[in-house]
Amino acid sequence: MSELTFEDVTVRYGRLTAVDGVTLSVPAGGVLGLVGESGSGKSTLARAAVGLVAPAGGRILLDGEPIRAHGRHRPLQMVFQDPYSSLDPRMTIGETITEAIPPGMSRPQRRTEVARLLELVHLDPGRAGAYPGQLSGGQRQRVALARALAGRPRVVIADEITSALDVSIQGAILNLVRELQRELGLSILFISHNLAVVRYVADHVAIMLRGRVVEQGPATRVLAEPRHDYTRALLDAVPGHRLTARSIP
Amino acid sequence: MTAAPAPAPEIGADAEHAPVTGASRLRRIAGHPWSRFALRRAGRLLVSLWVLVTASFLMIHLVPGDPVRAALGPTAPAALVAERRAALGLDDPLLTQYLTYVKGLFGGDLGTSILTRLPVSDVVGQRLPATLALAALAFLAAVVIAVPVGVVIGVLTRRGHGRRTEAAFTSGTIVLGTIPDFLLGVGLVYLLGVTLQWLPVAGNATPAGYVLPVLSLAVGPAAILARILRVEMVAVLDADYLRTARAKRLPARSLYLGHALPNAATASLTLSGLILGAMVAGTVLVENVFAWPGLGTTIVRSILSKDYPLVQAIVLVYGLGVLLINTAVDVALALLDPRSTIRED
Amino acid sequence: MNRRTAHRWLRVLRTPMGRAAAALVFVVLVLAVIGPAPWNARADAVDTANILAGPSGRHWAGTDNLGRDIAFRVLEATRLSVGLALAATAIGVLVGLLLGTAPWLLGRRLGRLVTGAVQIAIAFPGLLLALFFAVVFGVGATGAVLAIGLAGAPTFARLVQTLLAGVAARDFVAAARIAGVGRFRILIRHLLPNIAEPLVVNATMGAGGALLAFAGLSFLGLGVQAPAYDWGRLLYDGIGVLYLNPAAAIAPALAVLVAGLALNLLGESVAKGFGMDALVGLPASAHPSPAAPMGTAPPAPESTDDSPASDVVLDVRDLTVSFPAAGGPIRPVRGVTFSIRRGEAVAVVGESGSGKSLTALAVSRLIDAAGRVEADRLHLLGADLREPDSAGQRRLLGSSLAMVFQDPASSFNPTQRIGRQLAETSRHHHGLGRRAAFSRAVDRLRAVRITDPARRARQYPHEFSGGMRQRAMIGMGLMGSPALIVADEPTTALDVTVQRQVLDLLTAIRRSDDVALLLISHDVAVVSEVCDRVLVMYAGRIVEDLPTDRLTTGALHPYTRALTAAVPRMDSPLDRPLPVIPGRPVDPADVPPGCAYAARCPLASQRCRDEDPPLAQHPSGHRVACWHARPEPVHAETVRPASVVETS
Repeated sequence: MSELTFEDVTVRYGRLTAVDGVTLSVPAGGVLGLVGESGSGKSTLARAAVGLVAPAGGRILLDGEPIRAHGRHRPLQMVFQDPYSSLDPRMTIGETITEAIPPGMSRPQRRTEVARLLELVHLDPGRAGAYPGQLSGGQRQRVALARALAGRPRVVIADEITSALDVSIQGAILNLVRELQRELGLSILFISHNLAVVRYVADHVAIMLRGRVVEQGPATRVLAEPRHDYTRALLDAVPGHRLTARSIP
Repeated sequence: MTAAPAPAPEIGADAEHAPVTGASRLRRIAGHPWSRFALRRAGRLLVSLWVLVTASFLMIHLVPGDPVRAALGPTAPAALVAERRAALGLDDPLLTQYLTYVKGLFGGDLGTSILTRLPVSDVVGQRLPATLALAALAFLAAVVIAVPVGVVIGVLTRRGHGRRTEAAFTSGTIVLGTIPDFLLGVGLVYLLGVTLQWLPVAGNATPAGYVLPVLSLAVGPAAILARILRVEMVAVLDADYLRTARAKRLPARSLYLGHALPNAATASLTLSGLILGAMVAGTVLVENVFAWPGLGTTIVRSILSKDYPLVQAIVLVYGLGVLLINTAVDVALALLDPRSTIRED
Repeated sequence: MNRRTAHRWLRVLRTPMGRAAAALVFVVLVLAVIGPAPWNARADAVDTANILAGPSGRHWAGTDNLGRDIAFRVLEATRLSVGLALAATAIGVLVGLLLGTAPWLLGRRLGRLVTGAVQIAIAFPGLLLALFFAVVFGVGATGAVLAIGLAGAPTFARLVQTLLAGVAARDFVAAARIAGVGRFRILIRHLLPNIAEPLVVNATMGAGGALLAFAGLSFLGLGVQAPAYDWGRLLYDGIGVLYLNPAAAIAPALAVLVAGLALNLLGESVAKGFGMDALVGLPASAHPSPAAPMGTAPPAPESTDDSPASDVVLDVRDLTVSFPAAGGPIRPVRGVTFSIRRGEAVAVVGESGSGKSLTALAVSRLIDAAGRVEADRLHLLGADLREPDSAGQRRLLGSSLAMVFQDPASSFNPTQRIGRQLAETSRHHHGLGRRAAFSRAVDRLRAVRITDPARRARQYPHEFSGGMRQRAMIGMGLMGSPALIVADEPTTALDVTVQRQVLDLLTAIRRSDDVALLLISHDVAVVSEVCDRVLVMYAGRIVEDLPTDRLTTGALHPYTRALTAAVPRMDSPLDRPLPVIPGRPVDPADVPPGCAYAARCPLASQRCRDEDPPLAQHPSGHRVACWHARPEPVHAETVRPASVVETS
């Protein structure tokens, strides 16, 4: 259980400022839902946390320490949006998961660990020899979760992990995330554009707009009594959910 | 997508020459996608030119041994070799030679032939027109053949149609595209020149003399171009915006010529630039098959007789031609497809 | 190499071109390996009595100026020709790989330098580079190998760079980096295996190219020097005596050509075999005739009581869409019946693969030629859409039916200005002039709430934002006077706040002009806001047709209930897990007999697995296709299939 904090983090791509002085924290053992529309900088923030992009300013800390971005053991792991792109088609899912296991285990130990992880995400351990092409989108996303857990992470970042899935599968993945979070006491940064999904898994919510966090707080408070206009607009736009009456011409 | 206001970093060097008052104006112009594209493209052209000039300069120095000795042969008296070396400036420090070479180029001085002692620029000026005519005619022929064929076959073999036509066309164009121009030339010489004696097989004295060389040079590129164009047509005909056009219930002519062809042509343009460049180089071989009085026969003769200044100059001319073609293609692309000015590659 | 890859290689060998090319390459390689042994002596045997003889029984291709047998010399030359070409290819591939992988290994700055250098080198044709290097390395075989090898390197490097960049952008590479795998290890484990096939294909074709390039250099006298000889050298000698013994030139020319072609064709067949699409490669007999895309089903008998009410805009009965496939036709839409009244908004919901988008395309007559559309009735405003394409039908569809597609980024022609693309409709169907059509386009852009429409109409699609493009697309449909808007996932690619604007716009147009709307969506929440009625599709059939207000409380089909419950809402309870649908959606290529949903259904009985329930009127007032349709919502957890009592 660890706390991930962003202190005044800024990320630039050339002349474009994608993340602009963001201060946030994922509480230890809690889930922070990060909500924003495309281009709001929420994925860039995630990529900065795991070291895929370098911040131009600010600090990203894990329990008050800078995050190690080198070496084999990485305390932060990430699950990506597109399960068709996040697994190497040339590797069995067992190999994919094994690759993420920190070094220091013998071969049989690693095999047992892969089986344990597959069971954890409700996949048959006997399928470790299967290739991603033989799995459905939902099963692939379970493998991606197992790979993230293989690294024994202190914090998991989930970037739009259900938006590429069909609704009938989305629910199962969300249930799994909640279950894993409770059983393992994980800290999770859960990124999504879908407020209803975020509401379901997160206990804290932060809203991003054009690289800045415009509102954050406990999920119940932010979603019930939004303080920022943009949060209100987002809530108002959720289909089937209207805060204010709207006039139709 | 709006253009960011800051200037492109590449022009930083130029910006300091501009007066302070003009700086913001310059920044605004530099912010426009078109000027950014033009600057970027001009920058690449300049670097390529520099690489080309430097490579052609270094060529004579990379040759193993003494180039003058090699050209004049082992029996030439040492005094003559020394005299020619001095005349060519080969005894000066390398940097001096380089600067002299570049300065000469700006004045149109391409050097002096070791063997004939004639100015190289005269030789090039005399041989270039024949090569240009050959390349231009062959390019025209290739485009005139390839575009209609590629478009029509593309329409006939769009998704779900004409699988047999596609198979036949694809294997046919692969075979035609693989046959090297000089082999095709030899074959044509044998068939139409030697056996049937219909057409002249050497020189460009008569218009009929153009037929075989142009044909041998054009067939391969035409096949490749037609094939690319077909693939692009098929891809474009399957694109979402073609479905939109179909949803507007436009007649077939509008669909294929109005919507599909410009996009397919745009997509094929970059490759046609490369093909055209290869065609310029291809003239070397074809000219040698048909004893064409162009640069291609001259460069081969010069390489074999080790007349390096001449080789150097002709390589430079060919390279320059290719660079101009590539630049022209990029500009055409920018005119046809406005997005390509923003795309950074 | 896993089994799938092996299978694809085998498939290449099954095509006639692939087989022929592979056989030829094999023969050439065998000749090159065992080549010299049997005919070494005969190739170099001087026969002064037979100088420059033409082809004969003893000398198939005649003799050269020393009376040596040309045919044997050509065979003998195989080893040198192929060997030199392979050596040059190896150099090109090796240097190309080094240059191509350098940007990945060296990091951003140095990498950009290498990329830039390759980009400049690639602008110069290979032959020019080869001539340059041939001069630098000196005339001869070694010089030529180096020249051709190095000349090929930039192209190969560029290919490696492009392919590498494509794979490196995929998330599994990011995942490996996050897991702490080093750059070099990622290159070896993840990147190279994923680009190996195109590289092998290209190297094969490169070897063919090198062979021909060698012949070219030798032909110019810049390659192999006497007394050694390769095909190019023989050709060079043969051309000199073309008038005396043409076979002396033709034999080596053919050898070069056959070997070069074989390598190229092999590469091409492999490339084609690997890029093959699943629906391609069908037996030719399975093709529908393109002239009759609406199928051959007999028209429905026109009886008076069967004719639709006058306010019906779209009337569809027993619509089927099928695509030819290797194992018999696939039917993604299997007998869909519905109608839409003037001003009515009807939604089609379902998961991916349910056939909802194909249904929309079929009623709009926009199915690909490969697809076959059949229906008992397919009427738009009373006109039979099953009739072959005609100018009148085009005008009807062009002005009465508006389409909005999912991805506004790719649905506009990128090379034309927006205004022109809108104006086109009026120019073709309403005979307006250029200027009149353009001002109508500006007016329609204003109608879909695009600010400064006159300026916007002169812009290109890439200058529009996603939401603006989608509104412009709606505006395009309004160029005529549509009676029906078919919108296929119109907001899926958009942000929620933009989605709201587009949905509001569609609703406003529908209200003000009494236009009917057919909205295809996977999102039950979107649908329930915009539409009056919902058609729920599963595995190519409509399983329930119900008013929107009954969606959450009055649904009769277990799939409808499960689908509605599975979507997290702003008010779904947080203390319970989300209801899920076990199993996975049906593959259209493999639809089970009986009810397609039976395998995932908690209520399924033997009857469900045997007999497909028809879409029939239920006493509660709407149509449903289920043997166990019942008004009360059933909790999936509490009902075991065995406890279900057969009804009816």
